Amino acid sequence: MESAQTLLMAGQVYVWIGLAVAVVFLGWGLDRIDAKGHGSWMFRPLLVPGVILIWPLVLWRWQVLARENDNLQNRHRPPLTTQRLMGLGLVLAIPVLIAGALLLRQDGPLERPAVMLETAAETSSNE
Amino acid sequence: MSDPVSDPVREREAPFFIGWATIPEGLRWFLGGIAIGLVVLLAGLSYLTAATQDDPGDGAFMGRADAVGLLQAAPYPILHVTQSDSFAPGTALMLTGNGKRGAQPQADAFDGQLVAVSGARISRGDIIALQLRGGENGISAAPEQTGASLPQPRDLGRWRITGEICDGKCYSGAMRPGRGLAHKACANLCLIGGIPPVFVATDKIDGTEFFMLADQDGGPVTEHVLNHVATLVEIEGSVERHGAMAVFRIDPATLRLAQ
Repeated sequence: MESAQTLLMAGQVYVWIGLAVAVVFLGWGLDRIDAKGHGSWMFRPLLVPGVILIWPLVLWRWQVLARENDNLQNRHRPPLTTQRLMGLGLVLAIPVLIAGALLLRQDGPLERPAVMLETAAETSSNE
Repeated sequence: MSDPVSDPVREREAPFFIGWATIPEGLRWFLGGIAIGLVVLLAGLSYLTAATQDDPGDGAFMGRADAVGLLQAAPYPILHVTQSDSFAPGTALMLTGNGKRGAQPQADAFDGQLVAVSGARISRGDIIALQLRGGENGISAAPEQTGASLPQPRDLGRWRITGEICDGKCYSGAMRPGRGLAHKACANLCLIGGIPPVFVATDKIDGTEFFMLADQDGGPVTEHVLNHVATLVEIEGSVERHGAMAVFRIDPATLRLAQ
């Protein structure tokens, strides 16, 4: 139960931070990094769910663009440079995870007999 | 000798697959082999996946059923049938609500009374649940019957039993599979919603391997077992017969993973 509550709490914190980022970015930051967005407001609420979902990426791209460090050629370089390594990692990790799950999962005891600790008479005499 | 990849003439003549265009002659056998190979591979994988699953049992929804009987509200709602076209007198029905909800709110007002119930029957072996219809359609007071009274609990002693904690509704047949790790999250949500927890033992006691769980005082025990659902565990406690229903009054402090 505690693990589930922790996960739920983490999800809620993520969403609230995302909402705050969405409000600041769409209300203020967008105008500073995208000239085409000036004076256009109707499309911004449509972006709120997406910003909430990927707010760390939004913050990262925002600071890159705000510092004018953006280089179109390099825009997709980080994902592409690690793509081969990630692919190889998945090829190794997926079989290890599946085999590990199969090996480590609980497998019995399926026919362990029940053990009588006290007879009915003993139970009632103890009460 | 020129490199075939950088030879523009050979590169132009190499067959090229386009989804919407006629398949080039040189690729027909290759693509046919890939297509048949994929079908065989996926069929084989599907068979192997299905063949390695545990038997989900024969539990299922068995249609509408009505009964009259005595209602026991603790640890979770149980109906001891006195009269029914669908169940033999003396049958114990585990009552549940719709979806992932228990029947406790509907049942509390009728504890110890004779009631008429109606709903969907779910059964698996000798464990039978009834998913009540909403409001008075599901449960209502019935006319008094002479001599009808709740069965007296019969003490069967104190036991250490190995088994799995499941939610009574899914295990009875509302879900297939209704047990095991694959069903853990569903079982926990059902239990949180008020569905009675049942203990499916690896051995029979007094002819049954299904026990409704209760705490040591005979009350609900759900919050103490949520972390131990869907794995094989060992628990100590006293076993009682309430009519046809076996109740395992557990000591949560003794709950541990079966090794």
